[in-house]
Amino acid sequence: MNKKVLYILVPVLVLLLIAGSLFSWYINTRNQLVYLEENIDASWAEVDNQLQRRSDLIPNIVSTVKGFASQEKEVFTNIANARAKLAGASTVSEKAEGANQLEGALSRLLVVVENYPQLKSDQNFIRLQDELAGTENRLAVARKRYNDGVKIFNAKIRMIPASIIAGNMGLEKKPYFEVSETAKELPKVDFGS
Amino acid sequence: MMKISRIKLKILLMLFILALPGFISAEIPKSSGFVTDLSGVINSSDKEMIEAAATEVRDKTGAEIAVLTVKTIEPYGSIEEFALDTASQWGIGEKGKDNGVLIVVSTGERKLRIEVGYGLEGAIPDGLAGSIMDDYMVPYLRSNDYSSGLKTGFIAVASLVAKEYNIEIEGSSYRESLQSMQTGRNSSGSSGGGMSILFIIFILFISGGRLFWPLIFLSSMSGRRGYGGGFGSSFGGGGGFSGGFGGGGFGGGGASRGF
Repeated sequence: MNKKVLYILVPVLVLLLIAGSLFSWYINTRNQLVYLEENIDASWAEVDNQLQRRSDLIPNIVSTVKGFASQEKEVFTNIANARAKLAGASTVSEKAEGANQLEGALSRLLVVVENYPQLKSDQNFIRLQDELAGTENRLAVARKRYNDGVKIFNAKIRMIPASIIAGNMGLEKKPYFEVSETAKELPKVDFGS
Repeated sequence: MMKISRIKLKILLMLFILALPGFISAEIPKSSGFVTDLSGVINSSDKEMIEAAATEVRDKTGAEIAVLTVKTIEPYGSIEEFALDTASQWGIGEKGKDNGVLIVVSTGERKLRIEVGYGLEGAIPDGLAGSIMDDYMVPYLRSNDYSSGLKTGFIAVASLVAKEYNIEIEGSSYRESLQSMQTGRNSSGSSGGGMSILFIIFILFISGGRLFWPLIFLSSMSGRRGYGGGFGSSFGGGGGFSGGFGGGGFGGGGASRGF
């Protein structure tokens, strides 16, 4: 008698347990995917924010440099072009391309600056250069956080079993913010000695 | 039998989880309060002054200012990455407000950085962080006077934080240092854009309803007893450093120098 009850009760309990854990797994995974996607959006906003900040800084820097080195017209034109391109970009890859081009143009500007000792020691310029370096650094951090988020998200939505839920939710792979090889070689401005 | 192996498995798993963060953060130094002097270059009176003032700032505003010296930043390639990871991992500043600052010097690479949390980027923009280093830190660090460089750099940062939160730092040793910094500056007559900032703050302090220095001295002397030699403290809101940092976040703001 006792044994019979056990025979029925155990399978029912096991089934309930399985159904329960399946359900909670489903909810958890779904929530996690939503969280990861939201996280990417937030870190993208920060990347965008820093890109904008750098674009806003450039007119100040250019006008300061022009005061000392007005003949370097080509550099200024390149920067203006890259800045305009970035302003017109909307997708992640367009923005990455524009940002890389701007980075290249800026690095040439900083090389040019080396030839003007008076400019290099100008208090105003030193401050602007700090702001620019700080923005580049923030941008690098924001870009890394964005790419890390994308990496986790992309792996998650393609791995079984979460991929089933991701497919149901219509989630797709997110693009990385690629750094071009030239941008990686951006000369570091050393203020010391 | 079965039971034992399951427990073993659990223990193994727990050990693994416990070991994981230790493994990841192997390169990040452990904080020993507001001043972590791993190079052993800060003298004890400067250390006490910084700790007392940093504690006062934290108690009054929630903002946290930490000072770190290391012999090397290796295996990190740049002081920017090192400072960011250290500041984030320590969680300097309040959680959510991100009002922390880390002043870090690597004596081996001869690099210096002021890392500013999101919440204080308005009070200490990158350009200002740069000129603080140029005016108050690099000249000392060049001649290996790390203690003075960190002291004056800390005071410059702390006075900007105090100004942001509209408070006054009353610790007597801080006041003395601020005053001697000011007179030293005047007599040496060295120039610099950033120096005017401290001067203005200094004037604000003096004219802020407290015209008599002796009075300030007296009031801060009595305040000093509260610190009880730096830590422990009968101060409200935690006092001392027992609780660790608040969990503030960083996004790479600040500036760096070589010296």
